[in-house]
Amino acid sequence: MKKIILLLAVVLVSLVSKAQNPEYVQKMGQTLGEFANCKTVDDFQSLGNKFEMIANAEKGEWLPLYYQADCYILMSFVEQGDGAKKDSYLDVAEKAISKMTEMAPGEAEVYVLQAFYLTGRLVVNPMERGQQYSGLSQQANSKALGIDPANPRAKLMKIQMDMGSAPYMGLDPKSFCPDAKELLAKWDEFKPKSPIHPNWGKDQVEGIVKGCQ
Amino acid sequence: MKMIVSYILFFLIGASSIAQTVVTGKVAGEKGEPLPGVNVFLKGTYDGISSNSKGEFRFKTNKTGELVLLVNLLGYEPFSKPVELKGDTIRLNIQLKEKFNQLNAVTINVGTFEASDKKQAVTITPLDMMTTAGAAGDVYGALQSLPGTTINGESGRLFVKGGDSEESQTYIDGSLVATPYNSSAPNLATRGRFNPFMFKGTVFSTGGYSAEYGQALSSVLLLSTNDIPAEDQLDFSIMSIGLDASGTKKWSNGAVTGTVTYNNLAPYMSLAKQNYDWQKAPESLSGEISVRQKTGKSGMLKLYSKIDNSNFTLGQYPLALESKPADFQLLNQNQFVNTSWNGQLSEKWGTNAAFSYTNNLDDIHFDPTKVNKYLEAFYLKNNWSVQLTEKFALKFGAEFVSKSFDQHAEIADGKHDNRFTNHNYSGFTEAQIYASSRFVARIGGRVEYSDYLNSFRAMPRFSAAYKISGKSQFSAAYGWFYQNPIDDYLLYTSHLSPERADHYTFSFQSSANSRTIRAELYYKDYKSLVKLNGPEFYLPSSYDNSGSGYASGLDFFWRDKKTIKNGDYWISYSYLDTRRDYRNFPEKAVPTFASKHNFSMVYKHWFGGLRSLASVNFRYSSPRVYNNPNSTVFNGEKMPPYRSLDLSWSFLYRTNVIMYAAVTNLTGFKNEFGRSYATVPDASGVYQSAAILPGSDRFFVFGCFITLTRKGSANQLDKIE
Repeated sequence: MKKIILLLAVVLVSLVSKAQNPEYVQKMGQTLGEFANCKTVDDFQSLGNKFEMIANAEKGEWLPLYYQADCYILMSFVEQGDGAKKDSYLDVAEKAISKMTEMAPGEAEVYVLQAFYLTGRLVVNPMERGQQYSGLSQQANSKALGIDPANPRAKLMKIQMDMGSAPYMGLDPKSFCPDAKELLAKWDEFKPKSPIHPNWGKDQVEGIVKGCQ
Repeated sequence: MKMIVSYILFFLIGASSIAQTVVTGKVAGEKGEPLPGVNVFLKGTYDGISSNSKGEFRFKTNKTGELVLLVNLLGYEPFSKPVELKGDTIRLNIQLKEKFNQLNAVTINVGTFEASDKKQAVTITPLDMMTTAGAAGDVYGALQSLPGTTINGESGRLFVKGGDSEESQTYIDGSLVATPYNSSAPNLATRGRFNPFMFKGTVFSTGGYSAEYGQALSSVLLLSTNDIPAEDQLDFSIMSIGLDASGTKKWSNGAVTGTVTYNNLAPYMSLAKQNYDWQKAPESLSGEISVRQKTGKSGMLKLYSKIDNSNFTLGQYPLALESKPADFQLLNQNQFVNTSWNGQLSEKWGTNAAFSYTNNLDDIHFDPTKVNKYLEAFYLKNNWSVQLTEKFALKFGAEFVSKSFDQHAEIADGKHDNRFTNHNYSGFTEAQIYASSRFVARIGGRVEYSDYLNSFRAMPRFSAAYKISGKSQFSAAYGWFYQNPIDDYLLYTSHLSPERADHYTFSFQSSANSRTIRAELYYKDYKSLVKLNGPEFYLPSSYDNSGSGYASGLDFFWRDKKTIKNGDYWISYSYLDTRRDYRNFPEKAVPTFASKHNFSMVYKHWFGGLRSLASVNFRYSSPRVYNNPNSTVFNGEKMPPYRSLDLSWSFLYRTNVIMYAAVTNLTGFKNEFGRSYATVPDASGVYQSAAILPGSDRFFVFGCFITLTRKGSANQLDKIE
């Protein structure tokens, strides 16, 4: 019996370590903690650099790519300069995302980020890109919801899209408030697969709900 | 025990301090400027850091042995270097080379107005075509608010930089369009055959274009059709001039769209005062089908087909004043098929193939004259491109155009049949060479052979651009352009040569923050223009290539999407000086279609609260000349200037419903396009005449566009915003 348990433990440990070596998880956790301190383009870039390094060391993991892309998308939002610069950041995100979709085509989070990235492209030049990118972004997000209808970030993205376009549609953005409230109430029911899986968005929903009052 | 522990601890710390290597140094650009934010790390490890604001980096690693140091920064060539880690300090001074990126590098834009979603410096988009007042939803109408064009209200076609309307060609997805305009009566404005919503991008080149394009002396308009749409949808439009319905069915890698359009101007014309007496208002019925299919990873196959039938009867049309006024009746049947395939064969090689077929029948009754014109055209093209190095690309291709034109005329003195068939074989090659990200040159050549004219022509094309700063650049272009004489002449003779124009263009453009300014100087030298000597147009001996001419001018363009919140305006001005001796001109003279000053100012505003996009356009064209046979001076008369103040309003009623209203020439300026004269004088020796007027002084359009999708949430907003 003891032997069997020991054997199982060994197998489990080796499996776990094969899937995620502890240094990787630790390094990811540590690097993720730095998100809170990022404000400027430079901050996000050096954080993105760290994820790039981890992605380079862990070729089989999609999460470092996810956060690297996330950093570069956020850079495009923070950047005050011209559109070409924003596009160059989004080019980096695009590369990471396309690698990710090949590595983890079944992950809803991947498509949520893709929708976020496409929104970034749209924001660079809404007049010219509105038509194409709003459609593409919705498509990507629908794909995420198709894989995981409960994914709170996909739901958040949908609410943001709906609210953003409401004034142009003759709708009151507040008509989506009940959705936001429901999402916030159920937010904690969704458990990320691991501590290093995407877990952002709650404060954004809180912000929306606050704005509703 | 304690000792042992401390010994172990000491050993551990000591060991690690012995093995720890410090990697430190500085990263700079080619000019020695420090580069911050550079990612410096050991490949396959977690050891690394970003460079600080002085470009300095310093990190420690416990790894030993030989590893590769990677140095990465967005916009620069990645750098890697093997390093030996043996517990000491490694100092490195790294210089990064700026990555050559064609997207950020200078591009040749001389003479060109390009628009697509990928370009920042967008000048005019298909959307603008729909929402610019005065364009009235016509591709060519919208282009006439750009510099280099001259408005000819009695034609509606494109007249570019002192060129006649036949000197401009239109391409859809790479295929030549043989009949881009609707058939019309002489001196009545026409419109483009195609709906601007079909297109996602336009390139309008007003001169100095690539060797890829032949058979155009003045300009080419390149239209690319939409890709695969996001979802299934049904579209309906109800307009004061007609109805259309369209449905799109999508599958994973493709889509099919079918459209039926019926236009009838009778209800509209019964309400709005017309300058002509229409016996039968223009009526047309057309059907379109379009298939788009992705092939492989990057290929796209597009097939488009349109069948169009239209007719009208103009009552008492004063075309030949000596005879009794008669009705002018026109029946038109047009079929157009267009197929294109685009594919990337490898990282370096790309190819595209295009095919189009057109047949067009114009059946004209103008008592007692009957004319039947039948045109059939094939177009076939295959282009290849290869990116030999990142700074050197080569493009080459071959093209075949077949055109046959039949004319059957029944006039007072009998029946006349004339026809010709011409095959044009062409080849081109063009190299694009970047000397740096600031300087690019394009050198190309084209050969064309026409079997009907038995002529072989070779023509060089050069263009180059130099970026003086991130935002501003100069471009220049030079080239020879050949085009076969017009169909109406080729019917009677093959003893002619292609006409020729040499372009010299120099332009400056600067754009930043959604503002674009551009100025362009050009000179065009026309040679071997066809002359018709004497009144016997049916005799081959009446024609020769002895004509010539020139056109020179200055075009100015300013667009600003920034200064006024939710506003966007552009100003175009063109100055044109041109004279030519061609067709039936007795001497060098200013042609009828040219006006010295052309001005257009467009303003668009998005009213968020009203969910409306409003547009106003003021256009002015200085007086053009026309010929009065009663005068001894050729083309010596001047028509009044052309003025028009146009308004349009698009209102988003529901998420999927747009209401649209537009009026052209709101204030009712009296525009007149010269006079038409009798071909023979009356008893007192005077040629009688009648004014050429626009169809109506003002033109109104009202419409409603509805989109239905399965989700019911698709919107029309994209179309108007």
